[in-house]
Amino acid sequence: MRQNEQGHGRWGSWWLTASIGAGLLGTAGLIGCGGSSSPSPAPPPELVESAEERKEPLPAVKLAPLEPFAAPPLVELDQEASWIDRPVQDGLVLLQQAQAEETVRGTVADALALRNDSADANATILAVLGRLPKPDEADLSARIDRHVGGDLGSTNPIMISTSAEFDILGLTGFGLFSFGRDLEPFAASETVVSWQTSTDRMLDKVVLRDDLVWSDGKPITAHDIAFTFQVIMDPRVPVPAVRSGTDQLRWVEAYDDHTVVFFHKEALATNVWNINFPVLPSHIYRQTWEADPTLKDSPEHVRLEQSPVCGGPYEIVERQRGQQIVLKRRASWSTVRGEQVREEPYFEEVRFRIIEDPNTTLLALKKGEIDEMILQPEQWMTQTVDDDFYARNTKATAPEWVSFHFGWNIDTVFFRDRRVRRAMSYAFNHDEMLEKLCYSLYEPCAGIFHPDAWMAGAKKPEPYKQDLDKAEALLDEAGWIDHDNDGVRDKEIDGRSVPFEFSIMVNQQPLRIAICTLLKENLDQIGVRLNVRPVESTVLQDLTQNHRFQAYFGGWGSGTDPDTSENLWKTGAMRNFCNYSNPEVDRLYEEGRQEFDRAKRAEKYARIQEILSDDQPYTWLYWRNSFYGFSKDLRGYVFSPRGPYHYSPGFGSLWKPRQE
Amino acid sequence: MPNEPAVRRSEHRPREASRGFWAEAWSRYRRRPIGMLALGFVVFLTAVAVFAPAIAGTKPVICRYKGKLYAPCLGYFNRRWEAPIFTTDKFRGTYPQNLQDKDPQSWAVWPLVFQDPYRRVRENEWPGRSENPSRDEGRPSRLNLFGTDQYGVDIFAKMVHGTTIALLVGFVSMGLAGSIGIIVGALGGYFGGWVDMLTSRITEVVMCVPTLVLILALVAVVEKPTIWKTMAIIGATGWTGIARLTRAEFLRLKESEFVMAARAAGAGPLRIMLRHILPNALAPVLVPITFGIASAILIEGSLSFLGFGPPPPTASWGSILNSARSNLQLWWLVVFPGTGIFLTVLAYNLVGEAIQEVTDPRLREAKK
Repeated sequence: MRQNEQGHGRWGSWWLTASIGAGLLGTAGLIGCGGSSSPSPAPPPELVESAEERKEPLPAVKLAPLEPFAAPPLVELDQEASWIDRPVQDGLVLLQQAQAEETVRGTVADALALRNDSADANATILAVLGRLPKPDEADLSARIDRHVGGDLGSTNPIMISTSAEFDILGLTGFGLFSFGRDLEPFAASETVVSWQTSTDRMLDKVVLRDDLVWSDGKPITAHDIAFTFQVIMDPRVPVPAVRSGTDQLRWVEAYDDHTVVFFHKEALATNVWNINFPVLPSHIYRQTWEADPTLKDSPEHVRLEQSPVCGGPYEIVERQRGQQIVLKRRASWSTVRGEQVREEPYFEEVRFRIIEDPNTTLLALKKGEIDEMILQPEQWMTQTVDDDFYARNTKATAPEWVSFHFGWNIDTVFFRDRRVRRAMSYAFNHDEMLEKLCYSLYEPCAGIFHPDAWMAGAKKPEPYKQDLDKAEALLDEAGWIDHDNDGVRDKEIDGRSVPFEFSIMVNQQPLRIAICTLLKENLDQIGVRLNVRPVESTVLQDLTQNHRFQAYFGGWGSGTDPDTSENLWKTGAMRNFCNYSNPEVDRLYEEGRQEFDRAKRAEKYARIQEILSDDQPYTWLYWRNSFYGFSKDLRGYVFSPRGPYHYSPGFGSLWKPRQE
Repeated sequence: MPNEPAVRRSEHRPREASRGFWAEAWSRYRRRPIGMLALGFVVFLTAVAVFAPAIAGTKPVICRYKGKLYAPCLGYFNRRWEAPIFTTDKFRGTYPQNLQDKDPQSWAVWPLVFQDPYRRVRENEWPGRSENPSRDEGRPSRLNLFGTDQYGVDIFAKMVHGTTIALLVGFVSMGLAGSIGIIVGALGGYFGGWVDMLTSRITEVVMCVPTLVLILALVAVVEKPTIWKTMAIIGATGWTGIARLTRAEFLRLKESEFVMAARAAGAGPLRIMLRHILPNALAPVLVPITFGIASAILIEGSLSFLGFGPPPPTASWGSILNSARSNLQLWWLVVFPGTGIFLTVLAYNLVGEAIQEVTDPRLREAKK
C-alpha cells in the first residue's frame, strides 16, 4: 500500500517494495478530497515500501509524554505577533480556473474512441476526459466502484498508514489543509475561514468555519483539533505514521470553538506540513481513550471501528472485511441548519472493492464491476490493447514521483568503498532494464528528486550507463582483484581472503526479480557473484530497517517537500537503511529546512542530490509512472506527481455524466 | 515358456529355481508395457538432466582456447567449474564472438540449442542470429522451440535445465525420507516394546507437521535458502509412511522361521535386521518411495509457482508456471512446464504402481 500522506509529507517516504502494481505507492491521499477538495491533509512525503504492508509503526525513537505548555492568551499573541495571511483555497475551483484556460483538444466521443497507444493519444484522453463537468452535466446520484489492493487496518483517521487507508479515510476524514497539483499547500476553504502565520514563523493561527458538523450531528470545533494533537502525541497510543511531523509541534491550543493556534518548536520551512494532521471527534473519544489508549480494543472502540463518526464529505455505511467498503455522501456535509453551505461531492456512493490479485482486478474492470484500477506495466502493454478492454474502458498514464533503486549497505566490507558502489552502478545494464524489462514505459532515474521537481535544481545528475571496463577498473582500484584465480574477485580483509559474493533482497515480484537477475548476470561478467534472494515484503522491511542486509531492491514515493527525504539520508535517520553518513548532507538538510527562499532552498537540495549521486549509496534505476484504467463512464481524472487521487481536488474532480 | 523344448527346460531348472526375488520381479516388470514406458521416460529425463548443458546453453560443451581444452558448459552445474580464464580474459559471458576474437585458432563444440536458461540471448550473440523476443511476443518459433517468457528468456532451455531440479528434488528428498523411514521403522518393528512405542509416537508427531508451511517458514528465516534445504525439509517430513510400512514388515518378518534360524545361529540384531529382514521388507517400501518422488516433484512445483522455489534465476518448471500467472494469454508458459510436470509425476506413479503389482504376491494372485 502506499502510505500516504496525509500528513503532509510528513510521513515520509513509503516503501515501495512491495507492490508494484497493486498498490503501489502510496500516495497520499488527501484526506478529504471529497467532493471537492476537502480539507485535507497534506501530502505525504515519501513512500513506503510496499506500502501495503506497512501496518506497524516505524520503529520510533522512544517518545516522551508531551510536556504541559501554558499557552499565552490570544490577545497577547495578537499583540506580539504580526500575522501574514496564507492562502485559503478550494482545490476544485483552482482546477476549474486552470481548465478554463486550456484549449479544448477534441470531443468526448473522439477521445473515448481513441486507443491510448501514443503520447499524443494519451494527452488527448487526459485533456478531454479530464475536464470538470459543466453545470448540470454531472450525475449527482452516481456511484463509483473503486479498487483497493488491500483492506483497511483501521478506520480511525489517526491510524492512517497504508494507501488503502489514504484512499478511504481521505474521503471520510476531516482536515484543515490540503495541497494542489503543484504540491503547494493551502488551507481548504470548505473548512477554514482564515489561516495566518506569524512573521517569525513560530505560530500558525486558523479560524474554522462555523457550519461544520460530524456525521452524528455534533459541531466540529477547534477543540477537536487541540484534543487530537494530545492523542497523537500520547506515547501510549500506537500511531503508525501521523506522529512524524506532528511531533515537531510544541502545542496546539483552541482559544474558542473556531480559533486554533499551532505553536512550533522551531521556525522551519516544513511547518506548513506539520500542522496538517487528521482530526478525531473529541466528544466521542474524550470519554473513551483514557480507558483504552490503543483506540481499538475496548467494546466502545470496536463499535467505532465498524461505524466511525466521520467529518469528511462521505461516511462509511458498510464494511465487509476483505470484500468491500461502502461510503455514502452525507447530507450534513453540504447542508447545515437547512442551508446549503458547500457543494455536494459528485458521487452519491463510493464503493471500494478489495481485490488483491492484479489479474482478477483487470477481469473485474473488463466486466464493468469496477470503474478504475492501477495497471501493471505488463497489463498496460499487452492486456489492455484490444476491443475486449476498450469496449468499456480507456486508460491513461502520467509521470509520478516514485523511484526504485538498489540500496548498498555501507556497513559491509563490500560497499564501504565508494568506488565499489560506483562500480556496481557502472556494471548494471540500465538500458536493457529500461527497454526490455520495463518495456520503455519508465524514465531513467539518477537521483533522489524527480527532474520535474523544483528541488531538483538546474543541474541534474546524469543517469549511469553500463560501462564494464570502468566498473572493472574501479573494482581493481578498490583492491577487489581475483588473487587466487578462481574467477571471483577477492580482497584480503583482516588477514582473510574475502570473495566478492553477496546477496540482494527483493520483493516477490516478477519484474523486480528480473531486474535483480539482470544485475546478477552483469556482475557475473566482471567476476562478482550475486545471489538474488526474494523475500516477503514484511521480511524485507524488517531486515532493511535493522540494517541486516548486504543489498536490497526498493523504492520510495516522493513526499511533497524535499525535507521529507531527510529521514533517508541523515546520519542515523530511521530509514537510512544503507547507513549512509555525510556531514555535509546532514548540514544541508538543516539549512534547507531553515531557508524560506525557494530558489535558495532548491540549491541546497540540488547539492544534496549531487553529493548522493557521486557517493551512490543507491544505484538509482527508474521513475515509475502512473498507469490507470478507467471506465468510459468516468470523467475528470487529472494526474499530479502523486497520482490522480492523492492531492486536492484529486478524487474530488472525478464525475460521471448524466445518462441521456 | 511353454514352447521351449523339454530338454532345455530341465537343464535350466536348477538356475531358475535359484532366481532371486528381485530378478523375478524384474522379469515380471518387463512384461508390463506401461510400466516399461514410464520407466523409459524416467531414464530419458535422467539423461536430459545429466546432459542439460550440452542440449541447451550458450557456453561451449568443449572448446580449445589458447592451446588448452576447456568445458565451460560445466558452469551450468556449478559456477566454479567454468574455467576462470574466461573471466580474466573478459569474455563476459558471451563465447562465440570472443573465442574467435581472442584466439583465432580456437574451436568449440556447441550445445544442440544455442539458448540460455538464465538470460535473454541478444542480437548477434551468435553471428547472424536475432535476439529473443520479450513481452508477449515470444511464441514458439524456430529459434525458441517452446517460446520465451516476458523477459525474453528461452523456455526450452529453462525446461531442459529445470529437469535437473525436478529429478534432484525427487531423488534427494526421497533418499533422505527413505533412509530415515527405514531406520525408524526397522528399530520400532524389530525391537518392539518401548522402542516401538517411542518411534511410533515420533512418527505420529511428524505426520502432523505440514510440509508446505514449514518450508515457507524456512524461506523467511534462513539467510540463504537453497534448493537443498527445501529438499531436506521435504525429506525430513516425508518419511512417516515409509516408517510405518517398514515397521509392519519387520513386525511380521521377525517372527518368521528364517529369522529364528538366524537368531539360533547366533546372529546379532544388526545383522538380522540388515542382512535377513531388510531385503525381504524392501519391496513394499519401494512403492511409497516412488510415489513420494512424484509428490516431492509436485511440492517443488507448487513452491516455485508460489514464488518460494529455488532462488532465481534457477530454472525450475514451477517457476515457469509462476511467470505465466501474470498473463495467461501466453499459453506456452503454461502448456510446456505443465505437461512436463504432469508426465513426470504420472511416470513415477506408474512405475510405483507397477512395482507394487510385481512385488506383492497377493495382488499377483488377485490378477490371476
